[in-house]
Amino acid sequence: MSGRYQRAFTIAVVFLVAVWHLGGAGGQLLHNRQAFASFAFQGAMWLVMALAIAAGSVLALRAAPSWRLAWAVAVIALAASTAAAAASPAGQMLAVNWAWGSAGWTGVLVLLRRRFTELAWFLAAEALATLGVLAWDGLHRTDLAGFLAVLAWSTGAQVAVAAGVRALDVAAGQAAAAARSEHAARERAATAAIIRAARHARWLALQESAVPLVAELAAGTADPGDAQVRNRCAVQAARLRRLLAEGDEVPGPLVHELHASADVAERRGVAVEIETAGPLPQVPGPARRVITDAAIAILTAARGQARITLAAVAAGIAVSFVADTGAVVRLPAAGEGVAIDHQQDGGMLWAEVRWNSR
Amino acid sequence: MEQQVTVAIIEDHPVVTEGVASWIRSDPGQRVRLVQTARDLTGLDTGAPSAAVVILDLELAGELVTTRIPGLVAAGYRVVAFSGHSDPAIVMETLDNGAHAYVSKEEGRDHLVEAVLAAAADRPYVTRSQARAILADQRPARPALSQQEQQALLLWFQGMSKASVGRRMSISENTVRQYISRARAKYAATGRSAASKDALLARAIEDGVIKPGEIVTYESFARAAGD
Repeated sequence: MSGRYQRAFTIAVVFLVAVWHLGGAGGQLLHNRQAFASFAFQGAMWLVMALAIAAGSVLALRAAPSWRLAWAVAVIALAASTAAAAASPAGQMLAVNWAWGSAGWTGVLVLLRRRFTELAWFLAAEALATLGVLAWDGLHRTDLAGFLAVLAWSTGAQVAVAAGVRALDVAAGQAAAAARSEHAARERAATAAIIRAARHARWLALQESAVPLVAELAAGTADPGDAQVRNRCAVQAARLRRLLAEGDEVPGPLVHELHASADVAERRGVAVEIETAGPLPQVPGPARRVITDAAIAILTAARGQARITLAAVAAGIAVSFVADTGAVVRLPAAGEGVAIDHQQDGGMLWAEVRWNSR
Repeated sequence: MEQQVTVAIIEDHPVVTEGVASWIRSDPGQRVRLVQTARDLTGLDTGAPSAAVVILDLELAGELVTTRIPGLVAAGYRVVAFSGHSDPAIVMETLDNGAHAYVSKEEGRDHLVEAVLAAAADRPYVTRSQARAILADQRPARPALSQQEQQALLLWFQGMSKASVGRRMSISENTVRQYISRARAKYAATGRSAASKDALLARAIEDGVIKPGEIVTYESFARAAGD
C-alpha cells in the first residue's frame, strides 16, 4: 500500500521535472536564442538533457534504480549542462543559462530514493562545475552574487522537494502499517466469531451424544464394566477435549486438537508420540474434523503405542498414524478435500490422512 | 569374527553414559567396544584419535557443541550425535558440520549401536529424526530429492518399518534403504566440506547407492542466488 503512495510521489516528481525542462529551460533557451554563438549546439544539449530525463523517469517509475544506472543518468545531465554553460557567451552565462536547473532536477529524479548525501554530492558537483565555467570566463563580483542567488533559489527548491518526498514516503509507510494492523484486527474478530459459532455447534452435538451417555451411566442402564460402554466413554472424552482445545487461541489448532485426543489414549496407558515436519499450513475446520475423527478412531483402538506425525507436503498436509491396533479400524469417510489411506502390517496399522488445499 | 568397532562416549550425565554402555554391552554380536568415556571435549581434538567413533552429546554443561564437530572430524573421529535436541535446524547443522548420523535420545535404544557401526564403515544411517529434519528443510540450497526418495523418507519418518515402507511403495526393503541412503548422501555433497562427508560420499558411490552424476554441489547456486 505504501508502494502505491510512493509511486504517486515519483509520478509527481517526473511531472515537475518534465514541466521544468520543457517550459522553464526550453522557454529560457528559445528566449535567448540570439545570444548563443551556436543555437544548434545548445539545442542538442537540451535534447540530451531531455533524453536523460526520459530515461531517468522510466528508471524511477520501474523500481528504485541501481546506483550505476542512477549515476549514469546524473552524470550525463551534469556533462550536458556543463557543456551548455561552457558554450555560452562569456559574461552573460548566468543570464542565459537554462541547463543548471534541469540538471539539478534530473539528479533529484534519479537519486530521489537513494541516500540523501548522494543527492547533496551531485548538487554540489553541479554547482562547482557552473562556478568553474564562470571562473574560466573571468569571475567578477557581480557574477559571484548572481551565482549565489541562483544557487540559493534553484538548489534550495530541489533539496526541498527531495526532502518533502522523503517525509511523505515515511508518512505513507506509517499509514499503510496502520491500515494493515486494522485489517488484521478485523480478521481476528471475524475468526473469533467463527470459532464461537463452531463451538456452539459442537456443544449442541455433544448434547446428543455425551449427555445421553452420562444419563445412562447415572441411571445405571449403562454398565461401566461393559467394554463397549467404556469405549463409548473414551470416545466422548476425546470429543470433549477437542471442544475445549478448539477454543484456545493457539497457533496450529490441528496440532492442539491432536494433543487433546492423545491425552485420552495416554490415560489408558497408550504411549503417544506427536511429531511435526516442516511449516504446516492452516487446515480449515471441516477437514480438521475428519483428521481428528480418524485420530480418535485409531487412538481408541491402539493397545500400547501410537505415533502421530504431521508433515507439510506439496499444497497441503499429511497426517499419519502408526499404532498397534491389532485389527483394522473403522476410519471416517473421506471428504472436505481430505483423502484417507491405510495399510495393515501384522498388528500394526498405518493410516495417512492427506488434506490438499487445491 | 570381524574386528570390534572402538567407541568413545562424550556425555556430561553419568546416567546416560551408563545407559549407552549397557546398550553396547547388550549387543548380541558384541560388535562395539567402549574404550573411553569423557564429560567434555578436552584433549579429544588433539593427538591421535582414541576411538573410531565418538558418541557425542550435543549439549555439554549447558552449551551446544555442534561447532566443535569439525574439530573432532579433523582429528580423525567419526561423530554420531546423540541428543535431546531434535529441532530440525540443529540436526541439519550437526550433519552439515560433518557428523555421520544424528540419533535422538528417544531413538537411542533401537538405533545408537547400528548408527555407530554404520559410521565406522562410512555408511549413511538415517534415523526418523534425521528424516524429519530433511523433510523440514526449506533452505534454498538444499539438494533436490527424487519423488521416490522423498516418499521413502516420509513413510520412514511417519513410523513405518522399512519392510512396511517397501510394501507400501511396491519395492523391496533393500530399495527402501537405497532411496533413504541416497537422500542422505546428497546432503553429504552440500554445505561445508569435511573429510567425513567425502568419505561417506565415496563409500556411497562404491556401494552403488549413488552415481557420481547424481551428485550436485549447490554452493555455486546458492552464491548466485544471493547476488
